[in-house]
Amino acid sequence: MPSAPPDPPSPFPITKARTHLLGLTFDECIQVFFGGNAVMAVVILGLITFFLFKEGASFFGQNRENLTVYRRAGLEYVDFMRQQEQDHTALTRYLSDLRLRTLQHLTGPGGLTLAAANTQLAPFDEFANRYSDAVVPLRGFVSDLTDVATAIKTKFIVMGDNKTQREQLLGAGKTAEAAAVVITPVDFKAELAPLVGTLPAYRDLSTAFAKSLTEAIASPPKLPTPELQARMERFRALTQQYLVSFPATLKNLESWDYLKPVPVWQAFTAFLFGKDWLTASFWQDWYGIVPLFVGSLLVSVIALLLAVPLGVGAAIYVNQIASPLEQRLIKPSIEFISAIPSVVLGFFGIAVLGEALRALSHVTWLSWVPGFPFAERLNALTAGCLLALIAVPTIFTLAEDALNNVPRSFKEASFALGATRLQTVLRIIVPASLSGIVSAVLLGLGRVIGETMVVLLCAGNRIASPDFTAGLGVVTQPVHTMTGIISQEMGEVVRDSIQYRALFVVGIVLFFLALLINFLAQKIVRKYRISIG
Amino acid sequence: MNPVQHPFTARKNRSRALEKLTFWLFRLATYLVLACGFFVFGNIFIKGAGTVFKKSFPFVNTVFLTEAPESLYVFTYQGTKMELGDRDYRAFRAAEEARAKAAGQPVPQFNAESYVYSAGGIFPCIVGTVLLVVGSMAIALVLGVCAAIYLNEYARDGRFIRFVRLSILNLAGVPSIVFGLFGFGLFVLFAPRLGVAPDPEKWHFRLWPLHQYVNFVGWGVSLISGWFTLAFMVLPVIITASEEALKSVPRGFREGSLALGATKWQTIRKNVLPYALPGILTSSILGIARVAGETAPIMFTAAFVVRDKLPWEGLDHWTDFFFQGVMALPYHIYVVSSKIPQNEYTARVQYGTAFVFLFLVAVIALASILLRNRLRKRYQW
Repeated sequence: MPSAPPDPPSPFPITKARTHLLGLTFDECIQVFFGGNAVMAVVILGLITFFLFKEGASFFGQNRENLTVYRRAGLEYVDFMRQQEQDHTALTRYLSDLRLRTLQHLTGPGGLTLAAANTQLAPFDEFANRYSDAVVPLRGFVSDLTDVATAIKTKFIVMGDNKTQREQLLGAGKTAEAAAVVITPVDFKAELAPLVGTLPAYRDLSTAFAKSLTEAIASPPKLPTPELQARMERFRALTQQYLVSFPATLKNLESWDYLKPVPVWQAFTAFLFGKDWLTASFWQDWYGIVPLFVGSLLVSVIALLLAVPLGVGAAIYVNQIASPLEQRLIKPSIEFISAIPSVVLGFFGIAVLGEALRALSHVTWLSWVPGFPFAERLNALTAGCLLALIAVPTIFTLAEDALNNVPRSFKEASFALGATRLQTVLRIIVPASLSGIVSAVLLGLGRVIGETMVVLLCAGNRIASPDFTAGLGVVTQPVHTMTGIISQEMGEVVRDSIQYRALFVVGIVLFFLALLINFLAQKIVRKYRISIG
Repeated sequence: MNPVQHPFTARKNRSRALEKLTFWLFRLATYLVLACGFFVFGNIFIKGAGTVFKKSFPFVNTVFLTEAPESLYVFTYQGTKMELGDRDYRAFRAAEEARAKAAGQPVPQFNAESYVYSAGGIFPCIVGTVLLVVGSMAIALVLGVCAAIYLNEYARDGRFIRFVRLSILNLAGVPSIVFGLFGFGLFVLFAPRLGVAPDPEKWHFRLWPLHQYVNFVGWGVSLISGWFTLAFMVLPVIITASEEALKSVPRGFREGSLALGATKWQTIRKNVLPYALPGILTSSILGIARVAGETAPIMFTAAFVVRDKLPWEGLDHWTDFFFQGVMALPYHIYVVSSKIPQNEYTARVQYGTAFVFLFLVAVIALASILLRNRLRKRYQW
């Protein structure tokens, strides 16, 4: 039987690939492919920073121009007087508040009827009327000047529009049409002359105003209780202070110069420390981040105050105290909560929580709680409660990890020395993992401060710094936030307008805030980690 | 007779009581969190179920799930209270008016109150969300996983790579609204488009020898802008998590394979990726949940308040598919909860939409948690 021909020698099972493409082997091609993807990802992520800055950077130039026009057109001049008028309005408000208190006292239990109380308050009303009428000439004066200044500003804006129109026409090669566009340069000096010319009149008016106020407060009505009387004295002191400020206003007006340049730093400080965010206003637009920043901060602080005890407490419980079965069930459940989309939580806040909290605040025996009762269903407290629910899973998961990383020997040593479980948990385990817990809280803060939909839907969206004189009751006021303003206004702004740029600058602030929080969290973990071993 | 006291039984004293009290406080905190979470779920599921399900066959409200939103008209007609959607209302009104005319009666008056978006369904929103999620995850996964493989397997650990890694880690914490802003600036307003003619107002150049110009006119509010914005929002998360998964494959797996003469790519394909896959999958599913749940980045890059055509209807050219805005579930929830009043007629669509959305996201998240727990057990070395 002929033996079978020997098998051809089988090739070596692993042969080196010899595919060549553009001078690269197959393996190198793969490496280039992966590398190319990585480069692309990194480049585009880098573009984020670039684009934020590209769109945001020219805000400061535009803001400076905005402030320059404010000065050139004399709006600043008028605002000095307007401020005086507004201060007076604030004082009148104090007075009407005082009247309300007195009325409540008079009609209180066992007191007078409403009509009788009002009769008794007649001298007070006369006093109040005299006080508030004193401002009428000033108010009329300011209102006239407002018209003048607005007219100058409008002229300037029309000139600017015409200029752009001519440039566009020139750019399109339509020279004849471009020449037809009339550009009337605004002669600020001549335009401002009537405005500045009112100074002597103002001087007289101011003197008369001060005189009538002094006369008005010279004979205050008597109030029934010492407490109310003290308030009246306080009111008189405030008015005295107000009167003292008159020369300063006058000096401001006298030394005002429309040509004084607006320094570059003012474009930055007006943004960073500006207390107004006012857009599409007929008078002057302001882009100050303070009310938004304070709003964001207030909401985040409320959220963290609720979330830190709950999140850290839950982490300690699950990691140290709970039975294995509880552990297995609770951990995924809390992680599951983090899957609730924020817009659904925001909707829940509008539909259920806001209403429930308001109802709660009207319960009589809870009226001692600061800020209760409140009328606004959507406020910082509502948003804060929901944000707490967002922050808890983050804090819980990271804090639980940190507790988990404490070596067993720490616990065993503590027990061996006779410590109780409570002592071990609170004095050994928690301090040992404190750096991790702190960084968990920081990352929770980062999560909360960047959250958009909940605050947009539930924080009330009132652009004003919350009134901190209300003490802790400040938490029930509606606020606006940095993330909220971007999402609310970005859809409507004109591209490349100053408002558009301002929103990008707010985005830059958020970006850096997030980086700072992340950086701190990492730093804390690295620096204060207990060396194990 | 008293039972014999166990010699090591703890005596009751103040510190024991304190311990018990403290532990109860911790327990209370835990269950409070769970209760709050499940209250939100329960509230939306119970109230939303009324819209999404019905008592009779087929038990699911098909109108709500398959039709576009329309306005709801509520009116009293001849003593009966009626609620009709926009099209039905018009048809009913026309029919009644014709009938009255034929019978010689005066034209009937309809004093209908209308509520926008409160009738019909949310089909276009579901479609939009699915399209957004699928597209953005495809982009994010390709870029993210490849970048992670490069960073972990090929790149030499130098200062630059460490810097890149750190930046990616930090970008994961940047708020989603900032990514929305970035997407608006880059994709909506600036991204390049091919065209046959140059756009004089924008930056442009000619693709030389072709008669094609690249104009930087932006993609507008469109599906593709949304895809890229969402993709780059989750990219840091996916890169970090995938790298984590790759790192957890022991070095010995690679060294063994290389020692047997396999090439680098063979090693990665056969001996690294299969073991890293569970981790990568988990991270990508978590990424899907995040992409589906976010509203802020698509608010001004991809979402329309209302659009009467479905994405595949009325396209002039197939590329138009990518350059159209879509409706999306999260944005629809935002619109119906903030722009229309709260009452019994609008609550149905609000809760119904929230139910569908929450259900989708919850299923995705649950899948990722279960998958992770399962795979964690399977691969242990």
